[in-house]
Amino acid sequence: MAKWKLENLNEKIWNFFASVDLAVALFIVISLAAAIGTVIPQQLEPEATIRFFSKFFSMDTSLKIHEIVSLLDLNNVYHSWWFTFLLFMFALNLVVCSIDRLPNLLKSYRTLPQALSMKVLESMPLKKQLILSDISHLKEKLSEILKRKGFSVNVFDTPEGIQLQAKKWSKTRLAVYLTHFSIIVILTGALLGTFFGFRGHMNILEGTALDFIISDEGKTIPLDFQILCEKFEVEYYENSAVPKAFRSYLKILQKDKPVMINGKDTVILEVNEPFSYGGLTFYQASYGFQPTEHAEFRFTFLHEQDRKIPIRVKFEEKVRIPNSAVLFSVIDFSPALGIDEEGRLFNMTTDMINPAVLVEFDNQGKKTQQWILKKIPQTWDTPYGKLRFDELWGAQFTGLQVRKDPGVPFIYFGSILLCVGLFVSLFLRPINYFVIIDKNKVTFYSPTLKGKVTIEKQLEEIIKKLKGEGK
Amino acid sequence: MSYQIISIAGLIYIIAMPIYIIYLLTKKEKIGYLGTGALCIGVLIHLFGFIQRFREMYEINHSFIRSIPITNLYESLVFFVLCLVLGYLIVEWKYGKKGFGVIVSLIAGIAIGLTELLGVTKEVQPLVPALKSNWLLAHVTLSFIAYAAFAISFVAGLFHVLMTSENRKSFKYILSTTILAFMFFLILSVIIDMATVENQKSIKIFHFTLGNSSLFVAILSWSALLAFIFVFWRWGEVIVRILKEFKIDANLLEEITYKGIAFGFPLFTIGGLVFGAIWADQAWGRYWGWDPKETWSLITWFVYAFYLHAKFIRGWSGSKTSVIAVVGFLVTIFTYLGVNLFLSGLHSYGSM
Ligand code: HEM
Repeated sequence: MAKWKLENLNEKIWNFFASVDLAVALFIVISLAAAIGTVIPQQLEPEATIRFFSKFFSMDTSLKIHEIVSLLDLNNVYHSWWFTFLLFMFALNLVVCSIDRLPNLLKSYRTLPQALSMKVLESMPLKKQLILSDISHLKEKLSEILKRKGFSVNVFDTPEGIQLQAKKWSKTRLAVYLTHFSIIVILTGALLGTFFGFRGHMNILEGTALDFIISDEGKTIPLDFQILCEKFEVEYYENSAVPKAFRSYLKILQKDKPVMINGKDTVILEVNEPFSYGGLTFYQASYGFQPTEHAEFRFTFLHEQDRKIPIRVKFEEKVRIPNSAVLFSVIDFSPALGIDEEGRLFNMTTDMINPAVLVEFDNQGKKTQQWILKKIPQTWDTPYGKLRFDELWGAQFTGLQVRKDPGVPFIYFGSILLCVGLFVSLFLRPINYFVIIDKNKVTFYSPTLKGKVTIEKQLEEIIKKLKGEGK
Repeated sequence: MSYQIISIAGLIYIIAMPIYIIYLLTKKEKIGYLGTGALCIGVLIHLFGFIQRFREMYEINHSFIRSIPITNLYESLVFFVLCLVLGYLIVEWKYGKKGFGVIVSLIAGIAIGLTELLGVTKEVQPLVPALKSNWLLAHVTLSFIAYAAFAISFVAGLFHVLMTSENRKSFKYILSTTILAFMFFLILSVIIDMATVENQKSIKIFHFTLGNSSLFVAILSWSALLAFIFVFWRWGEVIVRILKEFKIDANLLEEITYKGIAFGFPLFTIGGLVFGAIWADQAWGRYWGWDPKETWSLITWFVYAFYLHAKFIRGWSGSKTSVIAVVGFLVTIFTYLGVNLFLSGLHSYGSM
């Protein structure tokens, strides 16, 4: 008795997890939970969360709401234990449901087809009957028509007449299981990433090297190599502050020696074009302005006869202009020099949209000042020759996103399976026809629920052919 | 300019709506062809505007792939309408039924009207680096084709729900007539908003109707909305009767609802979710980050997965599942517009 009860309970639990009802319930519950997470601010400081609620409620209520919210992890929905639990239930539901049904489906492919009873046929949603005048070779004609349309045909003799079974694409039902399996693969990948991966970032100043990452949790993760940012550049659209592209020229250093990657010692990292090294993947994420001591103003002195002489100076450092006694120095810098309506100069942003330097010339005590703008050649003309301002090197940092995620291959593989499975299961539906030929009376049945109208049309075509050849 | 051409196409879509209504009321075959003709001309002009837009972008980007105009909210709305009308014309041709033309031209008109009223920029904009990705292109294109398929399934589903509801007190009947009424009110409001605009830059949806600064007009508008709902609620059966006279029955509606989703769901999965994840992976180093746009895409996906599975639940017959198709499209709209309007996130793509 006790054993029977236990088995009964086992079966109940199994059926619970095998049911589509649970799946549908989970679709709704997970959706609602996910939606909550887009409304309540996530992963903020308590003060910020309370401030958010106080926009809608009084301070007292906000505090109380915040208490409930943090108790239920509503300010960190996607990483909360209960959301993880829901996803776990979802996965379990899928696995159990597949184990419950797949064997039956596979068995149905292996067992020989059998004639169906009239009761089963009559319960099918589609039925069409016609009376034919010419009844010679009906069976052969119909089989021929169906076979030409790609159906496989089985014929049985039953008390009600000849039963013809036509099937097409019946194996495509397996694709649903591929779809479901792919979701498990994707969830596995996500799990691997959570437990064995991490994300972080590093901001490398132009001209310097770093050998550690700051993880998203704020921890320092050492690297066994160094990344040197040799150069960083941003391109802007013409006459606009919209960046067109930005890229870093990086070197990987092992014991201060550059490592060759794909036959080159420099990696050019751009947005949307990550690169991998040492199990980590690096992404060009951001950049910023950070003037430091080692920053260097780079000029080219354009001598007559096409001679170009590079000049590099630090801030306020005095250098002699070639072949003259004139000293010059940089006394001010603007990354984005603009001119306002009254003709005054001002700095627009810290992005190097329109870099400009204010230089001071010292010709034996006679001092003059002049703005030189990188992008405006007219400003390169100075009383002492043509001085082109090339760049301020070493004043920007490149922001790299770094990631290690062993789950990514699973995600990609699962995604491919998901797409293949969905396309097959939704575009190549199995089609079944059952036909009873009873003397001059032909009855068509089809079990389809989806696309009844299309099936009806197809059936009419078959009937037309049958009649056309019957005459 | 390309957007002026596209506005003309939008105008033609709006004009197609009353033609279809007259066709349904008079049952004159010729008027039906006129409606279809109007949509066809609209699509041709629309395509021309699309190509023009492509040329304008090519002048900035000098790259074929980077110049396909689906890079911001305006362009994506316009592309959505193009897919919707083309998709509808295919359905009309395949099933030989013109009845949905009313609602499809209505949605097309509202969408083009929204581009005027949401204050989205219609200028050709240079692409920021993160948007320069072929994955993004595939992501957006497929997503919007899927959205258009969902829209068609929504139209059929709405009629299906209406046709199969038992009586005026049933939830299904109230839901479907209210949505229909609201859509008709919305298109009128959009037209009035556009006609009464004074300052091109500060137009807002409902600025002249529900949100009018004059209390009198505002109350009048709200009453009009309620009146619309009442009229549709009271005489919803007329719509059903007309549909039946055109041999549009519940089976056909259910099938188109299903086909729209069966077509849109895989496209949305591969385009919206998978390609979106790959793009995010390449651009930001994460394939999934629970950003509001991503989260709402997932919710949309779940709603339609719900639809596909609901048929396997005991006792869930056709029209109950069509309610999900209707709700699914409302969620889709929220994912597409609502998230940008009400929630913030990383998707600078959709910013206005
Ligand atoms: C988001 C996740 C899921 C997706 C994308 C998905 C997708 C699909 C698709 C496309 C079909 C075919 C529907 C049709 O024939 O129109 C299907 C069928 C089915 N799904 Fe899912 N599914 C998911 C989750 C689940 C879960 C959690 C269960 C758990 C019970 C489940 C159980 C079933 C069953 C029993 C069928 C019918 C299979 C058959 O025809 O033999 N699905 N699914």
